[in-house]
Amino acid sequence: MSKNVLVVDDSGTIRQMIRRTMKVAGLDVGEVYEAANGIEALAQLNDHEVAVVLVDINMPTMNGIQLLTRMKETASLRDIPIVIASTEGSTERIEQLKKIGATGYVRKPFQPEQLRDVLTPLLGVLDDATTEDSDAGDDLF
Amino acid sequence: MQQQKTATLATIFSEILADLAFMFSEEDDTDLLSGEEWLETSINYEGTVSGTLRFWCTQAFSVVLASNLLGIDPDDENASSQARDAAKELMNIICGQFVTAVHGTDDVFELSIPHIEGLSETPDCAEAQDSEVAAFIVDGEQVRLSHTPH
Repeated sequence: MSKNVLVVDDSGTIRQMIRRTMKVAGLDVGEVYEAANGIEALAQLNDHEVAVVLVDINMPTMNGIQLLTRMKETASLRDIPIVIASTEGSTERIEQLKKIGATGYVRKPFQPEQLRDVLTPLLGVLDDATTEDSDAGDDLF
Repeated sequence: MQQQKTATLATIFSEILADLAFMFSEEDDTDLLSGEEWLETSINYEGTVSGTLRFWCTQAFSVVLASNLLGIDPDDENASSQARDAAKELMNIICGQFVTAVHGTDDVFELSIPHIEGLSETPDCAEAQDSEVAAFIVDGEQVRLSHTPH
Protein backbone atom coordinates (compact mmCIF):
# COMPACT_ATOMS: atom_id res chain seq x y z
CA MET A 1 0.00 0.00 0.00
CA SER A 2 1.31 3.44 -0.95
CA LYS A 3 2.40 5.62 1.92
CA ASN A 4 1.55 9.26 2.44
CA VAL A 5 4.11 12.06 2.47
CA LEU A 6 3.90 15.52 4.04
CA VAL A 7 5.90 18.25 2.29
CA VAL A 8 6.66 21.27 4.48
CA ASP A 9 8.10 24.31 2.69
CA ASP A 10 7.07 27.96 2.66
CA SER A 11 7.56 28.04 -1.10
CA GLY A 12 4.54 26.82 -3.04
CA THR A 13 6.81 26.43 -6.05
CA ILE A 14 9.07 24.05 -4.17
CA ARG A 15 6.11 22.05 -2.82
CA GLN A 16 4.82 21.60 -6.38
CA MET A 17 8.34 20.80 -7.61
CA ILE A 18 8.76 18.12 -4.97
CA ARG A 19 5.43 16.55 -5.96
CA ARG A 20 6.62 16.48 -9.56
CA THR A 21 10.10 15.26 -8.61
CA MET A 22 8.67 12.34 -6.62
CA LYS A 23 6.64 11.37 -9.68
CA VAL A 24 9.64 11.68 -12.04
CA ALA A 25 11.77 9.69 -9.57
CA GLY A 26 9.27 6.85 -9.78
CA LEU A 27 8.35 6.89 -6.12
CA ASP A 28 5.09 5.14 -5.35
CA VAL A 29 3.54 7.66 -3.00
CA GLY A 30 -0.02 7.79 -1.71
CA GLU A 31 -1.36 11.19 -0.76
CA VAL A 32 1.00 14.15 -0.75
CA TYR A 33 -0.06 16.66 1.89
CA GLU A 34 1.40 20.16 2.02
CA ALA A 35 2.19 22.71 4.72
CA ALA A 36 3.83 26.13 4.48
CA ASN A 37 5.38 26.09 7.96
CA GLY A 38 5.76 24.00 11.11
CA ILE A 39 2.42 25.04 12.61
CA GLU A 40 0.54 23.99 9.47
CA ALA A 41 2.56 20.77 9.41
CA LEU A 42 1.49 19.85 12.95
CA ALA A 43 -2.14 20.44 11.95
CA GLN A 44 -1.72 18.16 8.92
CA LEU A 45 -0.07 15.49 11.08
CA ASN A 46 -3.00 15.72 13.46
CA ASP A 47 -5.47 15.15 10.61
CA HIS A 48 -3.68 12.58 8.45
CA GLU A 49 -1.59 9.45 8.69
CA VAL A 50 1.82 10.28 7.22
CA ALA A 51 4.77 7.93 6.65
CA VAL A 52 7.47 10.51 5.90
CA VAL A 53 7.80 14.26 6.45
CA LEU A 54 9.99 16.25 4.05
CA VAL A 55 10.90 19.57 5.69
CA ASP A 56 12.66 22.79 4.71
CA ILE A 57 14.62 24.57 7.46
CA ASN A 58 14.19 28.23 6.59
CA MET A 59 10.48 29.00 7.09
CA PRO A 60 8.52 31.69 8.91
CA THR A 61 6.28 31.08 11.96
CA MET A 62 7.82 27.72 12.91
CA ASN A 63 10.98 26.67 11.07
CA GLY A 64 12.13 23.16 10.22
CA ILE A 65 14.36 22.73 13.26
CA GLN A 66 11.56 23.82 15.59
CA LEU A 67 9.17 21.39 13.86
CA LEU A 68 11.70 18.56 14.10
CA THR A 69 12.21 19.27 17.81
CA ARG A 70 8.46 19.45 18.46
CA MET A 71 7.82 16.17 16.64
CA LYS A 72 10.55 14.39 18.61
CA GLU A 73 9.00 15.67 21.86
CA THR A 74 5.55 14.38 20.88
CA ALA A 75 4.96 10.68 21.53
CA SER A 76 2.54 10.19 18.62
CA LEU A 77 4.90 11.88 16.12
CA ARG A 78 8.40 10.97 17.24
CA ASP A 79 8.66 7.79 15.14
CA ILE A 80 7.73 9.43 11.84
CA PRO A 81 10.88 9.74 9.68
CA ILE A 82 11.83 13.33 8.92
CA VAL A 83 13.93 14.23 5.89
CA ILE A 84 15.36 17.73 5.73
CA ALA A 85 15.31 19.36 2.28
CA SER A 86 17.30 22.56 2.59
CA THR A 87 19.75 24.81 0.83
CA GLU A 88 22.02 24.89 3.88
CA GLY A 89 25.29 22.96 3.70
CA SER A 90 27.01 23.53 7.03
CA THR A 91 28.42 20.32 8.53
CA GLU A 92 27.66 21.64 12.01
CA ARG A 93 24.03 22.23 11.04
CA ILE A 94 23.78 18.74 9.57
CA GLU A 95 25.24 17.24 12.77
CA GLN A 96 22.73 19.27 14.77
CA LEU A 97 19.88 17.88 12.64
CA LYS A 98 21.13 14.32 13.15
CA LYS A 99 21.38 14.89 16.88
CA ILE A 100 17.82 16.21 17.10
CA GLY A 101 16.60 13.16 15.21
CA ALA A 102 16.37 13.89 11.48
CA THR A 103 16.36 10.69 9.42
CA GLY A 104 17.89 12.09 6.25
CA TYR A 105 19.04 15.20 4.43
CA VAL A 106 18.90 16.32 0.82
CA ARG A 107 20.41 19.61 -0.26
CA LYS A 108 18.62 21.96 -2.64
CA PRO A 109 18.82 22.00 -5.57
CA PHE A 110 18.42 18.24 -5.81
CA GLN A 111 17.94 15.87 -8.70
CA PRO A 112 15.02 13.37 -8.76
CA GLU A 113 17.51 10.53 -8.14
CA GLN A 114 18.75 12.14 -4.92
CA LEU A 115 15.24 12.50 -3.58
CA ARG A 116 14.48 8.94 -4.63
CA ASP A 117 17.57 7.61 -2.85
CA VAL A 118 16.62 9.29 0.41
CA LEU A 119 12.90 8.49 0.31
CA THR A 120 12.98 4.94 -1.09
CA PRO A 121 14.08 3.18 2.12
CA LEU A 122 11.47 5.14 4.05
CA LEU A 123 8.59 4.47 1.65
CA GLY A 124 9.59 0.93 0.87
CA VAL A 125 8.26 0.60 -2.69
CA LEU A 126 9.04 1.80 -6.19
CA ASP A 127 7.05 1.74 -9.38
CA ASP A 128 8.22 0.65 -12.85
CA ALA A 129 9.93 3.95 -13.68
CA THR A 130 12.67 3.29 -11.16
CA THR A 131 16.08 2.28 -12.42
CA GLU A 132 18.09 -0.52 -10.90
CA ASP A 133 21.07 1.52 -9.79
CA SER A 134 19.39 2.98 -6.74
CA ASP A 135 21.63 3.55 -3.73
CA ALA A 136 18.63 3.12 -1.45
CA GLY A 137 19.60 2.00 1.99
CA ASP A 138 22.85 3.95 2.12
CA ASP A 139 23.43 6.72 4.62
CA LEU A 140 20.52 9.14 4.21
CA PHE A 141 22.70 12.17 5.04
CA MET B 1 38.25 39.94 -2.72
CA GLN B 2 34.78 41.39 -3.33
CA GLN B 3 35.33 40.93 -7.04
CA GLN B 4 36.11 37.25 -6.45
CA LYS B 5 32.93 36.81 -4.41
CA THR B 6 30.87 38.40 -7.16
CA ALA B 7 32.47 36.05 -9.68
CA THR B 8 31.61 33.10 -7.40
CA LEU B 9 28.05 34.36 -7.07
CA ALA B 10 27.76 34.69 -10.85
CA THR B 11 29.01 31.12 -11.35
CA ILE B 12 26.61 29.74 -8.75
CA PHE B 13 23.72 31.66 -10.30
CA SER B 14 24.45 30.27 -13.77
CA GLU B 15 24.90 26.70 -12.55
CA ILE B 16 21.79 26.64 -10.38
CA LEU B 17 19.65 28.23 -13.04
CA ALA B 18 20.81 25.60 -15.54
CA ASP B 19 20.43 22.66 -13.12
CA LEU B 20 17.15 23.70 -11.60
CA ALA B 21 15.30 25.40 -14.42
CA PHE B 22 17.20 24.50 -17.62
CA MET B 23 17.77 28.21 -18.23
CA PHE B 24 21.10 29.37 -19.58
CA SER B 25 22.74 32.71 -18.94
CA GLU B 26 25.09 34.89 -20.97
CA GLU B 27 26.97 37.93 -19.71
CA ASP B 28 25.25 41.20 -20.53
CA ASP B 29 27.17 44.42 -21.14
CA THR B 30 24.19 46.52 -22.14
CA ASP B 31 22.16 48.97 -20.05
CA LEU B 32 18.91 47.83 -18.53
CA LEU B 33 15.90 48.43 -20.73
CA SER B 34 13.27 50.78 -19.41
CA GLY B 35 9.58 50.06 -19.72
CA GLU B 36 9.85 46.60 -18.19
CA GLU B 37 8.12 45.50 -15.00
CA TRP B 38 11.03 44.92 -12.61
CA LEU B 39 11.24 42.92 -9.38
CA GLU B 40 13.89 43.10 -6.65
CA THR B 41 14.51 40.08 -4.44
CA SER B 42 16.84 40.25 -1.45
CA ILE B 43 18.07 37.79 1.14
CA ASN B 44 20.44 38.26 4.09
CA TYR B 45 22.85 35.79 5.63
CA GLU B 46 24.36 36.04 9.07
CA GLY B 47 27.10 34.00 10.72
CA THR B 48 30.80 34.64 11.23
CA VAL B 49 30.28 37.27 8.54
CA SER B 50 27.09 38.68 7.12
CA GLY B 51 25.82 40.15 3.90
CA THR B 52 22.95 40.66 1.49
CA LEU B 53 22.32 39.22 -1.94
CA ARG B 54 20.08 41.15 -4.31
CA PHE B 55 18.55 39.95 -7.53
CA TRP B 56 16.79 42.10 -10.10
CA CYS B 57 14.70 40.49 -12.81
CA THR B 58 11.70 41.28 -14.94
CA GLN B 59 8.24 39.92 -14.20
CA ALA B 60 8.51 38.10 -17.54
CA PHE B 61 11.69 36.32 -16.39
CA SER B 62 10.08 35.22 -13.14
CA VAL B 63 7.10 33.73 -15.01
CA VAL B 64 9.43 31.72 -17.28
CA LEU B 65 11.43 30.66 -14.21
CA ALA B 66 8.28 29.43 -12.45
CA SER B 67 7.07 27.60 -15.56
CA ASN B 68 10.41 25.83 -15.98
CA LEU B 69 10.60 24.87 -12.31
CA LEU B 70 7.07 23.48 -12.43
CA GLY B 71 7.29 21.93 -15.89
CA ILE B 72 4.30 23.90 -17.17
CA ASP B 73 3.66 26.34 -20.01
CA PRO B 74 4.54 30.00 -19.28
CA ASP B 75 0.97 30.87 -20.30
CA ASP B 76 -0.38 28.61 -17.56
CA GLU B 77 -2.05 30.66 -14.82
CA ASN B 78 -0.02 28.73 -12.23
CA ALA B 79 3.24 30.10 -13.71
CA SER B 80 2.08 33.69 -13.14
CA SER B 81 0.79 33.00 -9.65
CA GLN B 82 4.05 31.29 -8.61
CA ALA B 83 6.38 33.76 -10.37
CA ARG B 84 7.41 35.84 -7.36
CA ASP B 85 7.65 32.77 -5.16
CA ALA B 86 9.95 31.16 -7.74
CA ALA B 87 12.29 34.17 -7.73
CA LYS B 88 12.40 34.10 -3.91
CA GLU B 89 13.19 30.40 -3.82
CA LEU B 90 15.89 30.82 -6.46
CA MET B 91 17.60 33.36 -4.22
CA ASN B 92 17.18 31.15 -1.16
CA ILE B 93 18.99 28.32 -2.94
CA ILE B 94 21.66 30.60 -4.39
CA CYS B 95 22.34 32.17 -0.98
CA GLY B 96 22.73 28.77 0.70
CA GLN B 97 25.17 27.65 -1.97
CA PHE B 98 27.01 30.98 -1.98
CA VAL B 99 27.80 31.05 1.75
CA THR B 100 29.27 27.56 1.70
CA ALA B 101 31.19 28.21 -1.53
CA VAL B 102 32.77 31.37 -0.09
CA HIS B 103 32.98 30.59 3.62
CA GLY B 104 33.15 26.77 3.68
CA THR B 105 30.95 24.27 5.49
CA ASP B 106 32.37 24.58 9.01
CA ASP B 107 30.31 27.58 10.11
CA VAL B 108 26.55 27.84 10.45
CA PHE B 109 24.88 30.72 8.62
CA GLU B 110 21.31 31.80 9.27
CA LEU B 111 19.48 32.87 6.12
CA SER B 112 16.60 35.32 6.20
CA ILE B 113 13.31 34.67 4.48
CA PRO B 114 13.73 36.17 0.97
CA HIS B 115 11.88 39.42 0.34
CA ILE B 116 10.53 40.45 -3.06
CA GLU B 117 9.01 43.69 -4.25
CA GLY B 118 7.90 45.22 -7.52
CA LEU B 119 9.77 48.32 -8.63
CA SER B 120 8.12 51.38 -10.09
CA GLU B 121 11.09 52.12 -12.34
CA THR B 122 14.15 50.48 -13.89
CA PRO B 123 16.49 49.50 -11.03
CA ASP B 124 19.70 51.36 -10.34
CA CYS B 125 21.71 48.27 -9.39
CA ALA B 126 24.87 50.24 -8.62
CA GLU B 127 23.02 52.16 -5.91
CA ALA B 128 24.07 49.82 -3.10
CA GLN B 129 27.49 50.80 -1.81
CA ASP B 130 30.33 48.27 -1.76
CA SER B 131 28.42 46.07 -4.18
CA GLU B 132 29.52 44.60 -7.45
CA VAL B 133 26.88 43.67 -9.93
CA ALA B 134 26.87 40.61 -12.16
CA ALA B 135 24.88 41.17 -15.33
CA PHE B 136 23.28 38.45 -17.44
CA ILE B 137 20.77 37.82 -20.16
CA VAL B 138 18.68 34.70 -19.60
CA ASP B 139 16.20 33.59 -22.25
CA GLY B 140 16.24 37.11 -23.68
CA GLU B 141 15.56 38.77 -20.31
CA GLN B 142 18.08 40.97 -18.50
CA VAL B 143 18.86 40.08 -14.89
CA ARG B 144 21.25 41.56 -12.31
CA LEU B 145 22.75 40.10 -9.15
CA SER B 146 24.81 41.67 -6.39
CA HIS B 147 26.48 40.81 -3.10
CA THR B 148 26.88 43.41 -0.35
CA PRO B 149 29.02 42.45 2.65
CA HIS B 150 27.89 44.00 5.95
